[in-house]
Amino acid sequence: MSKTQKIALGVLLIVVLALPWFVSSYTLQILIQTITFAMLGLAFASTLRVGLPRFDIAAWWAVGAYTTALLMKKTDMSFWLTLPIGAVTAVLVGWLIFMIAIPRGMMVFLLFGMVTAMAIQQLFGSVDFFGGWGGPGLVPRPTIFSHRFVGKPELYYLGLVFLILNVVVNYRFFNSKIGRAWNAIGSSLRLADSVGVNVVRYRMANVLIGNFFLAIAGSFFAAYSPTVMPSTFSFGSSIYVMMYVIVGGLFHSLAGPIIGALVITFIPEYLRMAREYEPIITSAAIIAIIIFMPMGILGLLDARVKPWLVRLGLMRPERGSKDVVTSQ
Amino acid sequence: MSLLELGGVIKDFGRLRAVSELDLSVEQGQIRSLIGPNGAGKTTVFNLITGTLPVSGGTVRFNGEDITGLRPHRIAQKGIARSFQQTFLFMQATVLENVLTGFHMECRAGALHEFLNTKKAKKTDGGCRSRAIEIIEFMGLSPVTHERAGNLPHGYQRALGVSIALACNPVLLLLDEPVTGMNPTETREMVDRIRKIRQRGITIIIVEHDMRVVMDISDRITVLNYGQKIAEGLPSEIRANPKVVEAYLGREDN
Repeated sequence: MSKTQKIALGVLLIVVLALPWFVSSYTLQILIQTITFAMLGLAFASTLRVGLPRFDIAAWWAVGAYTTALLMKKTDMSFWLTLPIGAVTAVLVGWLIFMIAIPRGMMVFLLFGMVTAMAIQQLFGSVDFFGGWGGPGLVPRPTIFSHRFVGKPELYYLGLVFLILNVVVNYRFFNSKIGRAWNAIGSSLRLADSVGVNVVRYRMANVLIGNFFLAIAGSFFAAYSPTVMPSTFSFGSSIYVMMYVIVGGLFHSLAGPIIGALVITFIPEYLRMAREYEPIITSAAIIAIIIFMPMGILGLLDARVKPWLVRLGLMRPERGSKDVVTSQ
Repeated sequence: MSLLELGGVIKDFGRLRAVSELDLSVEQGQIRSLIGPNGAGKTTVFNLITGTLPVSGGTVRFNGEDITGLRPHRIAQKGIARSFQQTFLFMQATVLENVLTGFHMECRAGALHEFLNTKKAKKTDGGCRSRAIEIIEFMGLSPVTHERAGNLPHGYQRALGVSIALACNPVLLLLDEPVTGMNPTETREMVDRIRKIRQRGITIIIVEHDMRVVMDISDRITVLNYGQKIAEGLPSEIRANPKVVEAYLGREDN
């Protein structure tokens, strides 16, 4: 990271940490939601790097949420203990499914994902043990040293910790040799295995890391919501997640989903006066974004703003960009 | 014992027999060319050797070991690398990153080290980086080290394909049309490099249409037509073989 980037990141962090003092409680509530959605988007974007579109986001999100909700309600277990239990469950169950799906290629993975999402929603809705379609009821708030997370700012900071952890872990992976192998798989499957990359194993690792954080996002959701219901974890919500990633910018696997989640969560909120037209306007806005910014919001910034920053000396020119093609 | 031995290899696509009972043995240190008219099954043979396609019959032995039916990445680990006829590159990545990806098998520090970017991981990566730069220099790609692969002119892309294969540190290198689409200067340079690669002790099999290059560079030539071997021998023998001339030019009837 360059010095400018570090400073920019520091400023961003301060702004994000100071937000609860400047925004209304209502806006904060939406921001807390956005944190969850951003984490869902991160999983989608990360798996897209290995050339797999995943539509099972809602399933693993639900596994985390239900693990936390049921364990806290039925056994009075601490939130902090339900967190790893949910994550490990999502990874183990996911592993069983992906063992069948991943070796069979992208299409099978995609279909398995859809089926998993629908099956898990059905399971939680139909089986009495999980509380049926009304959900298992109110989930107690998490506590730390007998302090209960009740206030919005506290829950916001809690979510922020999870989101930052997710971003940092993904960043480390993307910039390691493992990430290089992921990129190789994503850009050419045949070339990747010709240089000895075990495609199945690397895809598996990528997807399971996604599962881990999806479950954590689920546990957090259960903690702030504080109810869980099967209808939340519909297949449609998996589609929404894909929107965050596309609107944010497909080639920005970290910032893209976060920006996308922010935009798509806040557009409907500012359309409250036109309640009945809200879904139509939101859809139109998303289509407009896709048409006019095919590379997403960040893609547009890359093309329009970056050259100015470079000219002002705030950024180094990117090597290997399109305008420096060499001819022989 | 030969380095690579194909015994009665068959490949069927549905009812079409693309390769029929092919026997091929390549000696250590040879440059072997595989020639034949379009659709003769040359690239298919490469795909069978590297495991990209499963064989329908017969065996592939490498270094005395049966590698028939192994998955492509396992075969790559045994020491067979290839360049592709279509330019398969990691287009979004730079030339250096492309070559580094080729070091995937060798430069491993363990997942945890890589994730945490420990000293060990940095050291391994640094070692690979300097070796990648050596390969880039050797292949004449130094001026474009930090360019994106997708932005390179065709000749450079071909050379990059070979560089990635070299980074796999192969025992056997399969080159699919390495000089196709190159101008005479580029072709000459590539031929020189292929010779130098052989001098390093790497055995090479080439599929190529440029007959001047094939005749110039090969120790032995195998000719395929409709998936069958119709001739094999020294370049001079192949040039004089009436069957080969017929396959390429067609029979002169009446």
